[in-house]
Amino acid sequence: MPAVSVRHLAKSYGDKTAVRDVSFEVEKGEVFALLGPNGAGKTTTIEILEGFRDRSGGDVTTLGVDPANRSTQRWLRNRIGVVLQELAVEPYYSVRQVLSRNAGYYPSPRPVDEVIELIGLKEKADERVKKLSGGQQRRLDVGLGIIGNPELLFLDEPTTGLDPSGRRDSWDLIRQLSADGTTVMLTTHYMDEVEALADRVAVLNNQEIVAMGTPSSIGGRDSSEVTIRFLLPPGLDAVDVPVPVQASDDGSVEIRTSDELRVLHTLTGWALEKELTLVGLSVLRASLEDTYLALTRETS
Amino acid sequence: MTSSAAAAASSASASASAAPSPESTRSFQGFRDLRLIGRQVRFEQLSFWLNPFGALFTIVFSVLFLVLLSSTAGSQNISYYAGIKATQYYVPSFIAYGIMSSCFNIQAITLVNRREMGLLKRLRLSPLPTPLLMAAIFISSMIVAAIGVILLFLIGKIAYGVHGPASTLAVVVTTLVGMLAFTGLAVGMSTVVPNADAAGPMVSLTFFLLVAFSGLYFPIQPGSTLSNIADIFPVRHMISGMNTAFNAPPGSSPWPWHDYLVLLAWGVVGSFLALRRWSWSPRRG
Repeated sequence: MPAVSVRHLAKSYGDKTAVRDVSFEVEKGEVFALLGPNGAGKTTTIEILEGFRDRSGGDVTTLGVDPANRSTQRWLRNRIGVVLQELAVEPYYSVRQVLSRNAGYYPSPRPVDEVIELIGLKEKADERVKKLSGGQQRRLDVGLGIIGNPELLFLDEPTTGLDPSGRRDSWDLIRQLSADGTTVMLTTHYMDEVEALADRVAVLNNQEIVAMGTPSSIGGRDSSEVTIRFLLPPGLDAVDVPVPVQASDDGSVEIRTSDELRVLHTLTGWALEKELTLVGLSVLRASLEDTYLALTRETS
Repeated sequence: MTSSAAAAASSASASASAAPSPESTRSFQGFRDLRLIGRQVRFEQLSFWLNPFGALFTIVFSVLFLVLLSSTAGSQNISYYAGIKATQYYVPSFIAYGIMSSCFNIQAITLVNRREMGLLKRLRLSPLPTPLLMAAIFISSMIVAAIGVILLFLIGKIAYGVHGPASTLAVVVTTLVGMLAFTGLAVGMSTVVPNADAAGPMVSLTFFLLVAFSGLYFPIQPGSTLSNIADIFPVRHMISGMNTAFNAPPGSSPWPWHDYLVLLAWGVVGSFLALRRWSWSPRRG
């Protein structure tokens, strides 16, 4: 049984569509990312899976139950953890107090001190929340998401607003949770976050999924064209190169090909034979960002 | 993050697997849930007393004003209140103020702030059932109100030698009716306030204006134009109801039935608004 199953999910508010015909599955133990621009439907989808919002159509199960079913909602909430898009921690409690309070809601929570250590706030355990830095508050927010020892953790843009080291710490924590068997479903704007964390990613645009796959293969990244680039050796013209190239003003040439092995073989063979140096020789594959921008631009 | 924490993390997640089925997890779990309410009330109290703003507006303000007014004008007699001393009027009036401040003013502002900060949404997504959460929030503000009632009563008795109450039971019932009505109004009011910035001005301005022209600081002559206007709103009835329960002369009834009726009607209006417009998500209007 998958941790999450979504089939033909639809949600609209009056005549405004929030999500349209979205289908995907998240396997147990997987880190699954929903990537997309603002207003694409990421948060709505996650809120329906959490049971926070009702859907307009389609079938959804979270940990095997319908999240909209009131009679199994308490069972479900004992087993999921949620980190909201925006910081939501009471300002007047200490770190330990707020974690202890929330631990009491769950039947088998993680020990409070263990969570404090996991989120790296051991030194700040007795500090009031309002005295913490933004990054520290965000970590506490994640701590509240995992205090119940969830089987499935929803993270809505977990690293938005964090500095680079704070992001790395959060990534480490998410990897750790995933390694321990927690299924993680996250939404994000950041491509590097998807590449660093996600086993699979679905790209949402205009309320529907436009691509889904592993970060390295999504949108045909693994089979699409690469760009080979180098500086033209002195005294040579573009026409002297044994494959068709495009020359630029800075003296470099570019070759776009989906057969990079053969082209490279021809090029390097030619250079060796003529005793030429191909300065700055590089092979560039479309970045996830390029792919993502192309995917979201096509359908916008 | 350390490796010991990581090891502890793995052991904790392993222990979560033995669990009841979805169907056997009831939405109300008897004794366990009553304990949960008690626990939540404790944390609500902690949150209230750690925030100087709430305590200042409810307890400190009412004590301060009572002492100030009683010390300056307390010994004057109020002709249209059977000639009682002003202090005898101020004590039940400020008891009424304490109840309204805690159950309405502070409660409405806190609810808006919690909603706009995403705290309500987060709690909604925790396993703590909604009725338990709301019960704990209401009980907690009632505890604060009760502390105010007792404190003001003791100050009135010890420092100013006020008589009464005419009927302790009527004071208790009036307190409970007031708590219920103003809690309903607070929740209703919170749904009308569009964002956190507007919460303080909208709620407190309404409250302090109503309090002022409903006769908290200066008694209002029954039958006057001001009194007729104030009579439409619940604040006036809370103050006069508490005064009746506290100061009814011997032989007349200490039960302000008419005030109860108006208070509860306003409570119903607030609750109706609350049910219609309640939102767990930030509005940020």
